[in-house]
Amino acid sequence: MTAWRTDTTSASALAAELERLGGRLMMLFATGGYDSPPAPRELDALVRTAGGLTRLRAPMQGRVYPAVTPRVPAAHWFEREIHDLFGLVPEGHPRLEPLVRHAPEEAEVNLPGEQDVRLEHRGAERLAGPGVFVIPYGPVRSGVFETAQFLVQTGGEDVAYCAQRLFFKRRGAERRICEVPLEQAVLVAERVSGTSSVAHALAFSHAVESLAHAEVPPRAAAIRRILAELERLYNHLEATVRECEDASLSVGQAQFAALKERLHRLAGAVVGNRYLRGAVVPGGTRLDFDASAVDLIGTTLKAWARDWDRLLDVLLRTDSFLDRLVSTGPLSERDARDFACVGPVARGSGVDVDTRRDLPYDGYPAFEVARHSDGDAMARVEVRFQEVRTSLELIREAVASLQSGPTRSALGPLAQDSALGAAESARGETLYWLEPADAHALRFCKLRAASFVNFGVFNRVFDSQVLTDFSFIEHSLGLSPAGCDA
Amino acid sequence: MIRWFLRGVSRPRVTTRYPRREEPPPPGFRARALLEPEAVDRDEAARLAATCLPGALARDHHGNLRLDASRCIGCGLCVDMGNTDPARATALDPGYELAVRSRDRLIVGADRREADITASPLGGAFRRSLHIRHVDAGSDGAVEQEIAALLNPYYDMQRLGLFFTASPRHADVLLVTGPVTTPMLQPLRRTYEAMPEPRVVVAAGTDACSGSIWSGPEVAGGVDRVLPVDVYIPGDPPSPIALLHGLLLAAGRVQEASAPRLQRGASAAAARAGGAA
Repeated sequence: MTAWRTDTTSASALAAELERLGGRLMMLFATGGYDSPPAPRELDALVRTAGGLTRLRAPMQGRVYPAVTPRVPAAHWFEREIHDLFGLVPEGHPRLEPLVRHAPEEAEVNLPGEQDVRLEHRGAERLAGPGVFVIPYGPVRSGVFETAQFLVQTGGEDVAYCAQRLFFKRRGAERRICEVPLEQAVLVAERVSGTSSVAHALAFSHAVESLAHAEVPPRAAAIRRILAELERLYNHLEATVRECEDASLSVGQAQFAALKERLHRLAGAVVGNRYLRGAVVPGGTRLDFDASAVDLIGTTLKAWARDWDRLLDVLLRTDSFLDRLVSTGPLSERDARDFACVGPVARGSGVDVDTRRDLPYDGYPAFEVARHSDGDAMARVEVRFQEVRTSLELIREAVASLQSGPTRSALGPLAQDSALGAAESARGETLYWLEPADAHALRFCKLRAASFVNFGVFNRVFDSQVLTDFSFIEHSLGLSPAGCDA
Repeated sequence: MIRWFLRGVSRPRVTTRYPRREEPPPPGFRARALLEPEAVDRDEAARLAATCLPGALARDHHGNLRLDASRCIGCGLCVDMGNTDPARATALDPGYELAVRSRDRLIVGADRREADITASPLGGAFRRSLHIRHVDAGSDGAVEQEIAALLNPYYDMQRLGLFFTASPRHADVLLVTGPVTTPMLQPLRRTYEAMPEPRVVVAAGTDACSGSIWSGPEVAGGVDRVLPVDVYIPGDPPSPIALLHGLLLAAGRVQEASAPRLQRGASAAAARAGGAA
């Protein structure tokens, strides 16, 4: 149950108040329904400071307010999103182009092979100079990737500027969550980012449990921890597989991919879905592990951990792999803080942030949060390697702490007027803000996946980088366009 | 590098023999729901339809319950709800081989058209090798990882002559994921138009097959609203074996599996295996 302090301010003073508060801007959003035209009621900011969580409310009169971004850079994408979805105008925003909504004429430009790539309505700066050209990489990219677009401006070798274009995959998840019956809404949350199904289901469920004042039984909490850490394992493995692929380390790629496959097979056997869907529900878990499932998890992961250690040992002694990652794609601690990064991206740049410890949930025991100060691709990869060990340890602990009892408590009526749910996905802090319409339905949902904030710094990690490092940098960030776009 | 070489050759073979040998899913795998329409009365039909988020269980204009497996996400809420009746109406099927050539084959209660199920839309020319261009039209991201898993040592799709290609000009198959979001309409159409004929469109995943849980102005609601789809691979996400089956079906190298049926009497046991996990 996440608690926060609420302050009210005016929209005109919001920027100054947020600057004064300092801390990490977790979310900035306009509340309102999904009517057309939209009717925003107020601006809401959630800030994490040393003293805890603060919610800053600013009722809206009119459509224009002074932009927060010039004072708090982390607001940059949030304000563009508010502008797109609610028509509010943050006056003085340095770059108020469409972000979430794609302009209809965009589909007609930037064909492969076209000489003149138009950037004006894409939020990209245009560089000029002899030999400077733009590579529009995406939305349909070479290989099996999720859809995203990167506009790389280059003279041929050095990346002069790289602009990211997301939200090709926007499916309207927030509205869907409010449209469907409450007991089915968790199924939508699970499918926002399909590789972080457990984290999204947990964050959503935590918010609903706060609204309904429901307690999660201890057995369900332990099962949730097992599922969440299993999910973290296969996502960190995915990042490792991709990095091996980029380094043309074929055997490493195949071996780590095989390790990842073993985790999905375990998931399929104990949950019935290779991505752990259909397990977490508000109030607990829908499934219970029987003795054989617990046994299977224990024995599988024991053998798995042994193979992981052996492979990692070889990988960390492979110079051709390390050379490509060290000093590649640096993200300064200052940028990571200014843009409120989360997850391994923030921790790789020395920022001490982990939702499992900061907003405790589901009975996580104390553990050491992995951190690295170098801020390069290697640092992010090493943070993941450490987290694999931590996750294995947390699963062992959760399996040992399984006590008999129910796995689901009944949900009462939704009694609170708003709630925040949080969970740490493999990519970082995942947030759901919910407001109920009545005792049994939601009227407003704002979700913020880790990738939404981490994608926001994509253009800042290409400082004096070369084109051939693009995929190393991208995969070290380990982002999910599906989660970002929602 | 010698360490990697030794590592590579010291591992035992793990690659599946599929399709020459069957690859059974783990018991309790939730691939899709099964329905026995005769076991459902009007009240229960209404309750089951109301419990199904993607609308896979829905009533037709006579009030009869139908199951459209191209919408089913295998969540099992219908099974959870109906578990009081020994002659239960729904159960979960753990099957992998779900791909079909025509979407109405996924509908329980509809007439099944008899078609030549071995013929590929590509003719006989591509039975040995296929080149695949993947396009993500708004997926949740998991199905991309399942597609990428086809290259891991367990599935190794290249042993079957299946390859991914970067250029649509070299592609025989367009493998589309996601319910087709509005910004992806044009890129998807253009990729299709850039492919030489003959070409095949494969919709991978329940959201690509039907739109599934997504509806609204953001999505077209399935690949077949935009392009002619030749093979549907339902699944949330479809497992690697399901994807292999669908791709080999596109090449005309395997046949559609016979539709799974829910047998009365056997259903309670089947459902227990599926629901309890």
